[in-house]
Amino acid sequence: MENYKLSRRALLKGAAAMVAMSAVQGFPAEIFAGERMARFPEKTDLLLLTARPPQLETPMSYFKEMITPNEALFVRWHISQIPTSVDLNSWRLKIGGNTERELSLSMDDLRKFEKVVYTAVIQCSGNSRSFFSPRVFGGQWKNGAMGNVTWAGARLKDVLDRAGLKAGSVDIAFNGLDYPPLASVPDLVKSLPVDKALESDIIIAYEMNGKPLPMLNGFPARLVVPGWYATYWVKSLSDITVLSKPFDGFWVKTAYRIPDTPCGCIEPGSAPAKTIPINRMTTRSLIVAPEGGSSVKAGAPVSITGIAFSGGYSISEVVVSTDGGRNWGQAALGKDMGKYSWIQWSYPWRPEKPGKYILMAKATNSIGESQPFEGLWNLAGYLWNKVEKNEVIVRQEGA
Amino acid sequence: MKKILSIIIFLLIVTAAAYSMGDEKRIALPNIQTDLAPGAGREKVSTLCNICHSVDYITMQPPGTRQQWAATVKKMIKVFGAPISEADAEVITNYLSEHYGPAK
Repeated sequence: MENYKLSRRALLKGAAAMVAMSAVQGFPAEIFAGERMARFPEKTDLLLLTARPPQLETPMSYFKEMITPNEALFVRWHISQIPTSVDLNSWRLKIGGNTERELSLSMDDLRKFEKVVYTAVIQCSGNSRSFFSPRVFGGQWKNGAMGNVTWAGARLKDVLDRAGLKAGSVDIAFNGLDYPPLASVPDLVKSLPVDKALESDIIIAYEMNGKPLPMLNGFPARLVVPGWYATYWVKSLSDITVLSKPFDGFWVKTAYRIPDTPCGCIEPGSAPAKTIPINRMTTRSLIVAPEGGSSVKAGAPVSITGIAFSGGYSISEVVVSTDGGRNWGQAALGKDMGKYSWIQWSYPWRPEKPGKYILMAKATNSIGESQPFEGLWNLAGYLWNKVEKNEVIVRQEGA
Repeated sequence: MKKILSIIIFLLIVTAAAYSMGDEKRIALPNIQTDLAPGAGREKVSTLCNICHSVDYITMQPPGTRQQWAATVKKMIKVFGAPISEADAEVITNYLSEHYGPAK
């Protein structure tokens, strides 16, 4: 309630600013259905988590579509000095370190490499963090820190081959144009082990759904590591450095780590014995319609629909329950757009009796990875993939 | 001939202008403010936390115990180098656990 009040005040303050800001296509926050919404440049109305640096969440309604539009894709920056202008005449992607030669690539140079195109889910490590129990500090995302996008760009391996990795290369570090507000704040630099970085599916993407990237999603180019959490998908990429010793930067060595246990989870409230850098995404499914809390008519056919994806392996099965998990049936899977994309699924349902129904969906991928019925826990709030429950009311026919 | 030449030059200029416009992207971020709960320490919290991030980083969190807020303030100082004195850290921790803690 208190938060809602705060947001209302923000709205009033924002109304005055909106007049002033409209010329530069940035709109302050406003309240919509109890949520704080904001429209940032090149983006549509998104759920506002934080303003500076911006963290914006995609409303669930967009997940009814196979492809998430560029203007609706979530936004997540870590440090406040984010790029707000890039001139391609001067922007260069520099590659160096433990390499035969140093490269300084313009966008035209990057576009001359073979163009690789595929559809892949991008998902924040902390997506759905607000559902953790006990709750944890961090960005309080619901399910909207994800999207399914068709990416196009140059293969990272091709670029690294052009530079020529010298013997003894261990890690590859990626830096973007964002920088910290104080010298003491660690710059957002991420790294991948060399073997991972040389996988042929990793690209330096300069297009999202056939268009240049929005500034807030990493214009002019970002790393795409399909199947892995978005923490590695460094935005507004500027420097790639090949290292002959392990990368020891804060955002890999200290942050974005998960317990080194088979589930990446531990007993709530406990501390992990050992941690490793977060990597591949867990398997998930979401019911998109009917929405939780909605109502449908008794005796009328309803199509339960949703999406499912996993960390780089195709979804082989989605099962659906309409009675809280007692009975399960196979959902029909939609068009397969590759192992990195989400897949749409549907399940026909005709509830005869009025009452309260619990809808559930559970996905399994081609190597048998699935979803837990209880939320797994870790202190950072990562890897969420619990089987969700959508409560739906079935009304008397004609009511 | 002269006419054709001037048309060509004109087209070249227009194309060049459009090209360079397409090459540069510039956005202006909206200025969104979030109000903090009134109470002792609010000004300090607003001034010091805002150096690095907007205060919706505070208001979006689940209710935090004093221990959780103390650990967060300590992390900001020790890990991120926030220029917050020990005395101010105490004021900020008190404020956060008072206004953004579990319901009493």
